[in-house]
Amino acid sequence: MADPPGLQVENGAEDSRVPRKALRRSEGELILLWTLPATAIVWVSAFFLFPGFMPPMSPTMSADQVAAFYRDPAHLPQIRYSMIVFNWFGASLIPILTLIVMQIRRMAHRTPIFSYAMLGCVAGAPTLFLVANVCWLLAAFRPERSPELTQLLNDFAWITFTILVPFLIGQSVILALAIYFDDQPRPIFNRWVAHFNLLVAASLVPAAFVGISLSGPLAWDGVLSFWLKNVAIGVWVVVMGVVLGQAVYRERAEIQRRGEELDSA
Amino acid sequence: MSTVLTPPESAATPPAGPPSGRWHRRVAWHLRHNPKRELWLAWWTLVVFYNLFFPMFFVVAQVQPPPQPSWDLATQVHWFHERHLGIPIGFGIIFAIAGMTAVNNALIAYSMRRMSTSRAFGYAYLLIYSLSAIPGLLLLCIALIVGTLRPERDPKVIGWLYDFAFLSFDGTMGVFLIGSLIWMVAILIDKNRVFPKWFGYLNLCNALTEVVVAPCWIFQRGVLAWNGQIAWWLDMVVFGVYQVTFVVMLFQMIRREDFGTGPLPDLPRKNT
Repeated sequence: MADPPGLQVENGAEDSRVPRKALRRSEGELILLWTLPATAIVWVSAFFLFPGFMPPMSPTMSADQVAAFYRDPAHLPQIRYSMIVFNWFGASLIPILTLIVMQIRRMAHRTPIFSYAMLGCVAGAPTLFLVANVCWLLAAFRPERSPELTQLLNDFAWITFTILVPFLIGQSVILALAIYFDDQPRPIFNRWVAHFNLLVAASLVPAAFVGISLSGPLAWDGVLSFWLKNVAIGVWVVVMGVVLGQAVYRERAEIQRRGEELDSA
Repeated sequence: MSTVLTPPESAATPPAGPPSGRWHRRVAWHLRHNPKRELWLAWWTLVVFYNLFFPMFFVVAQVQPPPQPSWDLATQVHWFHERHLGIPIGFGIIFAIAGMTAVNNALIAYSMRRMSTSRAFGYAYLLIYSLSAIPGLLLLCIALIVGTLRPERDPKVIGWLYDFAFLSFDGTMGVFLIGSLIWMVAILIDKNRVFPKWFGYLNLCNALTEVVVAPCWIFQRGVLAWNGQIAWWLDMVVFGVYQVTFVVMLFQMIRREDFGTGPLPDLPRKNT
């Protein structure tokens, strides 16, 4: 791991090279950061295009009803196109999470444990989401398939989509702990970001219990498993997008300032 | 990393000792002042995770030890029916806590970072074990949850979920095989004495369990089937020994940690 730019300055051996080297390291981060609004727009559009989300399909639908949903000529293109878009952009949060890893590495920690743990989480939820995505696309590929099998694919998709929370919970808690342990006069993220991440993690926990019931708040169309979970993810994306953007821009300003200081020295 | 900011001497000497008194005050002190708090937090996460993981599989969900692959469909359906609450509750807790595995893997990756070996070992281990959670744990739990969801489902479909779950569990081999071998090689060539060499060979034993389990993809009954004496019982014993050992090994590593880059000192400088 390369040392963060601030530390390279303190090492001091090659001061004259520091600013350029440091700038090169963060080059392109703004491009990654500004993919987030585009991702958010694409996700929201695909979310509303998929006919099974608004309102969420009921788990109490019979196999014939589920088959009819996929056989409906109005639904079929919407299911396919929305899920193809989700397949394209389902993993596009990974660069943003990697930017958060970069910010964790700037924190005043003694070990890289938190950034390692965060790296271990980033691909988890997108991978499970793609499993769900493939099941939805498979169900729509041959809607004439026996209703029992279409219902199996639909169940598999919905359960996987709802229960993909482990690494989302993990990354929120890890980020919160990393912030709590960031003992420096000007921490990378404010304390409230840590509290907020714990709150989001708690909001995602009920979705893990989606298998308990086909109706009620824990069912995959329920208040907790669908609405609370997805709203929490949406709010997390917006809030973390803003605070991450602030941290990234602040870091760039610091690099620039240090560079100017070294030039004038 | 920030290690550069803090000289190793101050790392080993916290500002003052932990307060005597009630346990929660001592824990609070360690969380604020213990220089090894990141490592201890990761280690405790590992301990808490495995103390929840095994009871969930064996007691709440009751999916381990595994049922027989040779059962007829009616028995398989009955097996799911008996667990229609245990599986979604037990696995709900597994899904709520599975993110802790990232911290476990990070701690093990850190052990390789502390070695004299290339950091590639730690990164490779971290990535391969992060990947392993999907086919080796989460996907099979989803298959079993879907299996309990609708008892009236066609038994043939339930039978497919049954095979999927247990073969995915036993039959996900390569990630654990290669992951254990990476740790083994790192331990054996390490000059910083982070772990004893015999522990490197114990990693080889764990890797070999992933070899002998392969016939579970072929045999439906006997010692090599997914619930057999070799493919399940022998492997579980080796894994159990391996697991307890690496928890102790990581504990010793953290006690010996001096945040330097050379060999780990032999004796702990301070009890934690």
